[in-house]
Amino acid sequence: MSPEEPKNLRAEGRSGRLKVEGGDPVATIKAVCARWLKEGVLSAVMLPAVSRNGVAAPALFSDPEAVRDSGVPFLPAMGVNTASVVDEIAFNPAPGVKVGVFLRPCEARAVVELVKLQQVVLDGLVLIGVDCPGTYRAADFGEVAGSDGANFVNRFLQEQDRYLAENRFRTACTMCEFPTPLVFDLHIGFLGMNSKEALWVAAGSEKGAELLNGIDIEAIPEPESRQKFIEELRTKRQLRAEEQIKELDKRALGPENLVRYFAACLNCHNCMKVCPVCYCRECFFESEALERDLDEVVRISRHKGGTRMPQGTLLFHITRMNHMMTSCVQCGICEDSCPVKIGLSVLFKKVSRNAQKEFDYLSGRSLDEPLPLVTFREDEFRTIGE
Amino acid sequence: MSEFEPRIVGFLCNWCTYAGADLAGTSRIQYPPNMKPIRVMCSAAVDSVYIVRALMEGADGVFIGGCHPGDCHYVSGNYKTRRRMVLFNSIMRSLGLDEERVLLRWISAAEGKRFADTITEFTEKLRKKGLSPFKTLWEV
Repeated sequence: MSPEEPKNLRAEGRSGRLKVEGGDPVATIKAVCARWLKEGVLSAVMLPAVSRNGVAAPALFSDPEAVRDSGVPFLPAMGVNTASVVDEIAFNPAPGVKVGVFLRPCEARAVVELVKLQQVVLDGLVLIGVDCPGTYRAADFGEVAGSDGANFVNRFLQEQDRYLAENRFRTACTMCEFPTPLVFDLHIGFLGMNSKEALWVAAGSEKGAELLNGIDIEAIPEPESRQKFIEELRTKRQLRAEEQIKELDKRALGPENLVRYFAACLNCHNCMKVCPVCYCRECFFESEALERDLDEVVRISRHKGGTRMPQGTLLFHITRMNHMMTSCVQCGICEDSCPVKIGLSVLFKKVSRNAQKEFDYLSGRSLDEPLPLVTFREDEFRTIGE
Repeated sequence: MSEFEPRIVGFLCNWCTYAGADLAGTSRIQYPPNMKPIRVMCSAAVDSVYIVRALMEGADGVFIGGCHPGDCHYVSGNYKTRRRMVLFNSIMRSLGLDEERVLLRWISAAEGKRFADTITEFTEKLRKKGLSPFKTLWEV
């Protein structure tokens, strides 16, 4: 399934090359952020940041100097899906408050799903989608980046081929077909560009176009070399996904294999807690609905001679799939959060892709496409139930 | 040992299938007693968690009965059930689990015969399939 041009945030606006100052794309974008804050175009901007004390996390800055100091746009390390953070703050827009949020493609897709799930209101947000060739687990990042985490990003952007070939990315990233954002107000890209000289910038909406006011953009069509680079990356990733799914099928299909695949599960529900699209304020699985009295547990154990405690690990996972697979953006943050390292990325990749195909749906592709489970047509799936 | 008797958990919509089952009873139509019916207000009230839970805990099959498309008491509940069933089946296939152990069928209040036939067919099908694999897996 190929990503279609998002209909609703369609740009009439501008696109082109943004000149990079001093061979430093990171500083260039930070300067642009600082400008937005200074001029009051944005009240705040949220982007990945690295602090002196070693905190690497998305941060919301309202002081231009603080952005310059600690912001690290394009940081290829992912500890949370930023959409989860957006989910926490973007429900009640306030007049005059406008926050620009840097989002990787999977994060932007999750935000789109959250909007459709009525968890996020876009009014106070400007979605700034950035290219993402892959991210490192927060735990691996130090080792890959060395001591100067912030400067690493420029190296990373300039030697894209090398880092892509190394492919030490998070498992989900190695299978990701969407290195560029699908829905955005503003898109900042670097893939296939000589990022020492220029970045690719495109407005996806009026809101995004406003951010480009007064910024010097050389209006050119998207360079072919860039398109080719992205296409090749996508093809490679698709192949890698097929390979990994084939491996998965060897060990995870069928009742017994599935039990084995999830054997180490602690029932900690971390995968659910970090999932950007798992949106319920109170999860069914953490409610009293599944609590049981002693006599009931004993009675249930009689059916099989015994029962694993705590009960219902596989029940949790299969039900979670039923609840979330149509919105899963395959960001793989669930796997990173799993204390026993269950291979959730590839499993969810497969299950969600198949599920979304059934409804010709792609999570995060468009704000106009209704969620598969809240809509229907009378003349579909006629064979079911007959 | 006596012949394997499948155990089926049934979720019957209050407005159509439950009444259909009632009609089968009052019409004295015979059908196997393998299904334990649970009356629900709408087939769309059957969250996947209840289906999966029945299967994981050893039910050999799960039956869901709803109104025919267009006849839902709540206008569109069964259309949503239908989509959820598509999703459920897709997930079962992706995981290599047997989707045929779950059956959704539209049965109206007037279709006592169809209800009895459905349960008979489903019971026989499950009898052929044999014990649910989850029945012997205490570690799920």
